[in-house]
Amino acid sequence: MGYPHTPHPRETLVLSKHFGEPEARTYRGWVKRGGYEGLKRALAMPPAAVVDEVKNSGLRGRGGAGFPTGLKWSFMPKERTKPHYLCVNADESEPGTFKDREIIRWTPHALLEGTLIAMHAIQADTAYIYIRGEFAEPQAILEQALAEARAAGVLGRFQIHVHRGAGAYICGEETALMNSLEGKRGVPRIKPPFPAAQGVFGMPTTINNVETLAAVPPIIVNGAKWYQAMCLSSPKSVGTKLFSVCGHVQKPGVYEVTLGFPLKDLIFELAGGMRSGRTLKACIPGGSSVPMLDRDESERCIMDYEGCATLGTMLGSGGVIVFDDSADMVYQVMRLARFYAHESCAQCTQCREGTAWTTRILERMLAGQGKPDDLDLLLDLSENMTGKTICVLSDSCAAPVVSAIKKFRGEFEAYLAGRSALVA
Amino acid sequence: MSTATHDASEPVFRGDTLKRLQEILARYPTKAAALLPALWLVQQARGWIAPETMVEVAGLLGLTPAHVQGVVTFYTMYHQHPVGRHFVQICTTSPCNICGAEDVVKAFLEQTGARELGATSPDGTWTITEVECLGACGFATPVLIDDELVENVTPERVAALVRKYS
Amino acid sequence: MADALVNLTIDDQPVSVPKGTLVIEAAKQVGVLVPHYCYHPGLPIAGVCRMCLVEIEKAPKLQVACSTPVAEGMVVHTQTAPAKSGRQGVLELLLINHPLDCPICDQAGECELQDFTFQEGRPATRYTPDFPKRFNPVEDFGPDVLYVPNRCILCTRCVRFMEDVAKEPVLNVSERGDRAFIGMHPAARLDHPWAGNVVDLCPVGSLLSKDFLHRARAWELDKTASICTGCSQGCNVTLDTRQGVVVRVRPRVHLGVNRYFMCDHGRANYRWMNRGDRLDAPLVRDPDGHRAVDWDEALARVTRVLEGASGSAVVLASPRASTEALYLARSLVARFAWTGAYELVMGEEAPLAGVPDLALRAERAPNSTGADLLGYTADYAAALAAAERAAVVLVLDAPQVVLRPAGALLYLGTIPLEDPETRARAEALLPVANVAEEEGTFVNRDGRVQRYFQAKSAPGMTQPAWWVLSALGAALGGDEIGSAADAFAALAREVAPFEGLSYARLGYGGELVARAVPA
Repeated sequence: MGYPHTPHPRETLVLSKHFGEPEARTYRGWVKRGGYEGLKRALAMPPAAVVDEVKNSGLRGRGGAGFPTGLKWSFMPKERTKPHYLCVNADESEPGTFKDREIIRWTPHALLEGTLIAMHAIQADTAYIYIRGEFAEPQAILEQALAEARAAGVLGRFQIHVHRGAGAYICGEETALMNSLEGKRGVPRIKPPFPAAQGVFGMPTTINNVETLAAVPPIIVNGAKWYQAMCLSSPKSVGTKLFSVCGHVQKPGVYEVTLGFPLKDLIFELAGGMRSGRTLKACIPGGSSVPMLDRDESERCIMDYEGCATLGTMLGSGGVIVFDDSADMVYQVMRLARFYAHESCAQCTQCREGTAWTTRILERMLAGQGKPDDLDLLLDLSENMTGKTICVLSDSCAAPVVSAIKKFRGEFEAYLAGRSALVA
Repeated sequence: MSTATHDASEPVFRGDTLKRLQEILARYPTKAAALLPALWLVQQARGWIAPETMVEVAGLLGLTPAHVQGVVTFYTMYHQHPVGRHFVQICTTSPCNICGAEDVVKAFLEQTGARELGATSPDGTWTITEVECLGACGFATPVLIDDELVENVTPERVAALVRKYS
Repeated sequence: MADALVNLTIDDQPVSVPKGTLVIEAAKQVGVLVPHYCYHPGLPIAGVCRMCLVEIEKAPKLQVACSTPVAEGMVVHTQTAPAKSGRQGVLELLLINHPLDCPICDQAGECELQDFTFQEGRPATRYTPDFPKRFNPVEDFGPDVLYVPNRCILCTRCVRFMEDVAKEPVLNVSERGDRAFIGMHPAARLDHPWAGNVVDLCPVGSLLSKDFLHRARAWELDKTASICTGCSQGCNVTLDTRQGVVVRVRPRVHLGVNRYFMCDHGRANYRWMNRGDRLDAPLVRDPDGHRAVDWDEALARVTRVLEGASGSAVVLASPRASTEALYLARSLVARFAWTGAYELVMGEEAPLAGVPDLALRAERAPNSTGADLLGYTADYAAALAAAERAAVVLVLDAPQVVLRPAGALLYLGTIPLEDPETRARAEALLPVANVAEEEGTFVNRDGRVQRYFQAKSAPGMTQPAWWVLSALGAALGGDEIGSAADAFAALAREVAPFEGLSYARLGYGGELVARAVPA
């Protein structure tokens, strides 16, 4: 569902307030909407004070890991003895996630302003916005906004460059992003060393997601307490989140709600519920790398970091993928496994070989040639692929496999029995 | 763009393209960091990245051809051989898959005459590929035709799209 | 000032190591070998194979021992069920696309995939015959290296060696996922002077030496410690022999000389050790030509010649002659006014850029320093001229020498003198052993005296040069010397830079001489 559209009354519009307004893309238009006020205030504060304000706000990384942003910024050296860098992670590639694209397309200045404030806070003079290669249109809009901001003198001594990726999901992993930026294959690095100590070009680096940075200017303008107050459930999950709802819903799109919002309402009220004659079967709440929920769990799930964890899944990137009863879960798990097999960087044995083998077992099962031991084999493979690799792509392949076998075992067994109850 | 007629041994980085590269080099503390942007310039000029051009880029950036080759083969958007005038990327990952993406793929293959994924249509106009998540899952099925993202594509819309770009 | 020591426990054994030591290295100190592939002490850490998974108490997940530094009080378990299961998982995944090539693969018998699978792998596959294995054809990477992609486990040791040690990044990882393989740009070749090391480094039979291809099975090989004769670097090597034939030379670890590596020039430099056109028996010159005799008669003849000669003597030596032989030759001609020289062939130096003080040296001689310390010079031309007029010319394994000497020509060599006229004038031609057939020492360019050991039997009636020369010396009134060790001991007593050294002290690591340049 594109913009402009009328926001749902239960949305809390902070980041998406101006989605759909073409004027908001321009520097003038953004200033008219209160833009760059946050930057002005932040620049008048010492960097450490900006870090504290963001720490106190409770903002957590919106890319998927949910790491407290202010805390991440505080890992940077307090004294700047060598160049510091900020990397903006605009590599949005997690299946089900399409919220950063909207931020960049509609409010690029929000991202630029947040970037500049972050640069001030971590004492970085140079920032690279790593944007995925497929985002040609958002990139053009962003470059235009950047040029306008530069012309208006907003950048000051700060340098922001846009760096285009070239088709690799793994470059959304922060250390792989850094390698890609350095002109190498986008493979993750072993940690330690951590980016704040030794990041891009060997220098102290912070990597932040687009949505995270876009949330920073309102926090500076309205204060940490304001952000903290936006909370519907767990006090450790505050502020608003852009949830990208997609799949089998009437009104797929990006919806901004306060954390702690019920998933059930997100699906049935905001996103218009099921298609005619269909019922909810499953939902992946945080992008394909998190365990999937069955119908009952989906209807109970509270959308914040802790609420999802209680149900054994994760808030992740907030990519809400909805499956109705027409979905063939076995086929979709195969398709997800194939995604991970395509995107594996090939460093770790478990990921390189395991994602491919998992895919093949599922393909064979779908072709009616599954074997009785296949489910145990898949679970065993998933166990080997979890917690033993440099990054979590391997674990991310295992998550849908394990959760689907657990919650939709009947569909798998139907394939093994040589028949399928559903049409793909 | 017609990609197969250029002499791959001719340098890419001359005149304006070389100037662009020099501007790009100024953004980074190392020459190597300009590799991905440099490869985009090559692909914009030639449509694909030939082994000879990898040698050229390597020389300009102080890298080895092996390094450049490792990078080109890692990233799926860099073409290692000529492709059709229009390069089409259709997302078929699960969120789009359950919204009929595979039917859109079929429609494109039929309508363009490309027949097979990854192959170029006989008239050299189209190369159709299936790709992983394009980051537009709410607009299923998203189709990237060169650098243009077309949202909400259904099998019914494909014929008109193919005509529009042909 | 010693590094602070860190105390930890590995498999219930206490171990104390310097701060910064990796768990995998600390484990070696208590005899625990953590299975691994991508890790190598001579290469930067990659941490990609994930084979070296161990359980560390208080850590929530299994850790890779190759990139985990020790910590005070750390408790490491390598044999618990989770650790073994994790490693077994890696082995299974490495084997799914790995062809069952053992019967035709050169690596069999010295293959780490075989070893660890046997030790802790699954007994049977769960992959085939259901799914086809990945197939790519064999690639010719360069002068001596073949790449078999099907067997590759993507440990990236070869890539890291070329990039960080050879400093010529000519190998890469191409593609990604299970389509990945080791690539090389079509315009490149793997012809770096040290490239052959990637074959040693490859844990499996993916990178192979063309020279060694299908020549022998690893378990048929006898391995003997030796020193490379290719140049003055003195790289420690292992001679692999099969039924008395040297079939392969590989580097032996010496952290003070060649670390883990050797150059391709040295690697290829062994076929001469097997050549068949050897002097089989001692020959003495009679009026109607040379006659094969036994050692007693040969030695008696040479002794008479030496007793009857007076004036000057010249020793023309091969720079491959052992220190013992050079010393005993000098002792033998000490009664004369003697000079000695060796023919030094020079070549192009080829450093291994990533390792300090390691190169294929310009001096293509393993013992030029040893010769210098014993009073020989490199002024071969002058020595040749002097030899024409000398009373005695002693040629020590220099078959290409061309002489029309006025005095007596005595030849000790592996192959006969090549020039027929020179050969015709030799009083005696005595067969001696080559470096693979005896034990002895060389002194490398740093002044390190290093032992080499006997790898195969000498053919025919061949004897080590030290034996021949000491027998002649004894016949002329000198001491009896019964072994190479005794020869070296005698040398150490007489020649100041070698003072205090002995074979026992030299061991496998060698020792530096007191000073590199003679007084």
